[in-house]
Amino acid sequence: MFRFQQIYLFSFIYFLYAGVICLTVTTIALAAPDHIEKSVFRITNYQQSPDWKSPWKMKPTSRGQGSGFLIHGGWILTNAHVVSDSRMLLVNKISSPKPFLADVAAIAHDSDLALLKVRDPEFYKDLRPLEFGGIPELRSRVRAYGYPIGGHELSRTEGVVSRIEFGTYVHPGIDSHLLVQTDSAINPGNSGGPVTQSGQVIGVAFQSNLRLNDVGYFIPVPLINRFLADIKDGHYAGVPEIGVETSSLVNKYYRQYLRLPENTGGILVERIVPQSSADGIIFTGDVLTKIENLQIDAAGMVRYGEQQVTFYIEAENRQIGDSLTLQVWRKGKFQNLTLILKAPPFGAEMRNSYDKIPEYLIFGGLVFIALNRNYIHSPGNVTPPLAYEHWYREVERPHTRREQTVIIARVLPTPVNSGYANLHNFVVDSLNGKPVRSLAHLDKMLKKMPPEMRQVVFASEWQNMPLVLDYKKSVEQQKSVLERYGILANHNTSPKKNRNLQ
Amino acid sequence: MRKKHLLFSFMGCSLFGTIFLFTCALQAKSPEIKPWFHQAVLLKTYQQSYDWRIPWEKRDIRTQTGMAIVVRLPQSSKSKVSESVDSQTLYLLTTAEMVADATLIEATRKGIRKPFQAKLVVMDYAANLALLQIEKAKFWGNLSPVEWAPVKSRTNSDANNIYTLKIKSQDEWDMESGIIDRMAVGHREVSDAWFPLLKLRGVSQSGQGYPLLQDNETVGMILEAGGGEAKAMQAEMLLEFLRHASNEPYRSLAHRGFIWQRLPQGSTADYFQIPSGKPGIWVSRVLPYGTGSDVLIHGDYLTKIGKWTLSHDGKVKHPEWGLSLFDLLFLDQLKVGDSVVLEVIRAGKPIVLKTKVSAYEEDGRTVPLKRVGHSPRYVIQGGFLFQELTLNYLRMWGANWRTRAPIRLRLFLEQNKTVMIDGKNKTSDSYSATKDSTELPPRIVLVTQVIPDPLNIGYQELSNAIVLQVNGRYINRLKDVPDAFLYPQDDFHRIDFLPGAERLSVVLPVAELEKSNRRIKNNFRIPKLQAL
Repeated sequence: MFRFQQIYLFSFIYFLYAGVICLTVTTIALAAPDHIEKSVFRITNYQQSPDWKSPWKMKPTSRGQGSGFLIHGGWILTNAHVVSDSRMLLVNKISSPKPFLADVAAIAHDSDLALLKVRDPEFYKDLRPLEFGGIPELRSRVRAYGYPIGGHELSRTEGVVSRIEFGTYVHPGIDSHLLVQTDSAINPGNSGGPVTQSGQVIGVAFQSNLRLNDVGYFIPVPLINRFLADIKDGHYAGVPEIGVETSSLVNKYYRQYLRLPENTGGILVERIVPQSSADGIIFTGDVLTKIENLQIDAAGMVRYGEQQVTFYIEAENRQIGDSLTLQVWRKGKFQNLTLILKAPPFGAEMRNSYDKIPEYLIFGGLVFIALNRNYIHSPGNVTPPLAYEHWYREVERPHTRREQTVIIARVLPTPVNSGYANLHNFVVDSLNGKPVRSLAHLDKMLKKMPPEMRQVVFASEWQNMPLVLDYKKSVEQQKSVLERYGILANHNTSPKKNRNLQ
Repeated sequence: MRKKHLLFSFMGCSLFGTIFLFTCALQAKSPEIKPWFHQAVLLKTYQQSYDWRIPWEKRDIRTQTGMAIVVRLPQSSKSKVSESVDSQTLYLLTTAEMVADATLIEATRKGIRKPFQAKLVVMDYAANLALLQIEKAKFWGNLSPVEWAPVKSRTNSDANNIYTLKIKSQDEWDMESGIIDRMAVGHREVSDAWFPLLKLRGVSQSGQGYPLLQDNETVGMILEAGGGEAKAMQAEMLLEFLRHASNEPYRSLAHRGFIWQRLPQGSTADYFQIPSGKPGIWVSRVLPYGTGSDVLIHGDYLTKIGKWTLSHDGKVKHPEWGLSLFDLLFLDQLKVGDSVVLEVIRAGKPIVLKTKVSAYEEDGRTVPLKRVGHSPRYVIQGGFLFQELTLNYLRMWGANWRTRAPIRLRLFLEQNKTVMIDGKNKTSDSYSATKDSTELPPRIVLVTQVIPDPLNIGYQELSNAIVLQVNGRYINRLKDVPDAFLYPQDDFHRIDFLPGAERLSVVLPVAELEKSNRRIKNNFRIPKLQAL
């Protein structure tokens, strides 16, 4: 009996000791070094965006909050959407009420990244920059730091890496890049904060999916490194694009139709974007089988670590001007091609616009703008003709594509335009029979009108009746229109920055 | 003293009597309800429309209740009389919405429980009118047709009240009064048709097919009611419909043949070389049917229709209704077949055009408007479901289809144009709109969905993709699809789509297609793979 009790007692002590050891080891493993938390900051952005419906005006100032962290060179890395349209940026350190003024040093709206610099060198005292790691493994644990809403202090959450694939970056609206999905809570305010693993930064938290539970995303290190390399020369060139539209060849009959050899993967090129990297080098009907020695499968994916991701990954890790090699299946043979990577050929109007004063022109009380993504997504503006001009003309009738689509967004009622007060979203194809290529072009055309001109006639493919104004009266009433509506300038046809002027 | 009492009493009674009589005189004579017990019947319909997204299926049955008016067709000597109608027989007049896609129409008389089956004889969906027949002689008993009378406007009559029936139960019928708000020209969106309509207030307990009464006469029929308001069609239009119902083929009601706009201002008039201040309307588009469609062109400035001068906002002085939109002339001044002169200014010069008043027509559109009584047309090949774009299809996106349906498809409906491709502009502007033209306008053909089958693995993401070509042949309408499938390229059929679709091309192996079609037909219980 006594012996049984001894065995029982020693076993208890043994398991208790083992448990304590395990707990200690785990705690040590998970406990972050102090310097990580100290190097994560709260960023407050007092921002002011333009009013896209009244482009001479700005909307009221608003306050946004996000996160950022210190990297080499004294830069604070964060998201572009945290610091866009900024009027004043304040950075706070952990548990410190003192705000420091900061400026945007570089910004990449296409990949939602930005670098800040704090003005006061005192800020950097006793801070250590965080080091970068690599792409995390699936199912590995990660930790997210930041300043989400719901509190003022630094928040730390943990989760696992759930998925690594391409997805849409909400900030620019049309760009897709590699993103890492985690179930570590990432909430509004977390944006710009570091996601770490084993004490190293493996990503920047930036968006979540409100329709799903426990789904947050962070920008992986390769895209961050691409951004940092891009801005070394002081100018951000952007993520290059190949410029092809592709369709999968999962259907075996299509593969037979193309006479693809057995066990060859590959994705079908269905359209080449004019003036893109691929223009003149890759052709419709080509099957892309390899990119930089990586096999492309029938769904257009390549192996990337333990992941399959879309083949675009090879382009997005490079810089504009870099070369890219491809293998294609063309007319029954394999061919090797090299192309030089260029910036996406579509205009800036296809992306959400930030840090810019909208372009506009006012003539005869008519407010002309260049159709852009911000405008078309304003309530009530996704009309079929505007949608066609913004999205479909490019793909259906590329040779008719213009530099900008100029529209009369609205009319400021004045005697010269009486009868047109309710007009809006009038697409301007021509002025007095001559095609209008852009807002600046329209401005020039109006300025060059001979004084004896009787009328200005704006015609549109989408309207049965042209818009006609008396030219002389329009010119005469120009000043009074601006005064009446409190508009300082009748035009802004060269893009200006909307940035903190301090 | 006593004399004074008598005097005051007499004066008081006289005053009271005068007031009472005056009030009665001011009030319209409320009609006797009993005649309409024998001139109107109750209707109950069971309707089942097609599911345009699964075009071989029908949607749930829904029921509607309303009324129908007993009518006899007026004599018509103008055209060949239809075999299906007879001027001696009694018919029931109701709204097209009551009977569209009906699987069963039941009519019951006041006080008689037993329903009788009614059959649709003629329907004008654009005008929202329908004529029914009941074969059982027993139904007609002592029913008698209404005697129509023109509705009077307020200024010409003391009786500005109108009445309609209020059905409390099958046996209890009562009257409900209201007023004419105004005579208007209503737009029936599902047909894009403009017809004169009466807008009423206060008769909200009425419903479809209820007779509209004024001064003990039947002056119209209620088309819809609710929310304290109602719309009715006047007797003159109803009579015109009944006249046309006698004819073979049926022609709809008189309609304009163009879309117009007001000239916004003097500069625009100047630009179009229109004399300053000259009233009129600008023709922005000529329709493939309707009055003036054969003589007008885009850009004409219409100043006069017959003897009526148009104002800047398209109004004319109607003898009964005063200043009203010119479409009101088709109510009682201009009938289908009448000769009419149109005065226009064209390229700065006044000219006179002679034409005839003509009717609304359904055809002639790139995207057909709402159709009833026709099953959807479709073709299935290899799981690819081909359909033409129609308003019926767009309306499958529900009440908010105008914002929820794919925007690219809405553009075709709005613009009435087809696909514009480099070098091959197939707009309906190039379609000949003359009445002699036998060529139908091009249509938009879609692959609305891909019904899953091993043959089409990898194509499932396609939906609402606009078909450009099949086997290298341009597809202008649905019947081109099976024709094109007769010409495979080598051992494959190839379908090409308009850019903007999820993918731009698919191929189907010829050797496997028939087997796949049989599999799909069986697995998805599709009665037939093609309905053209």
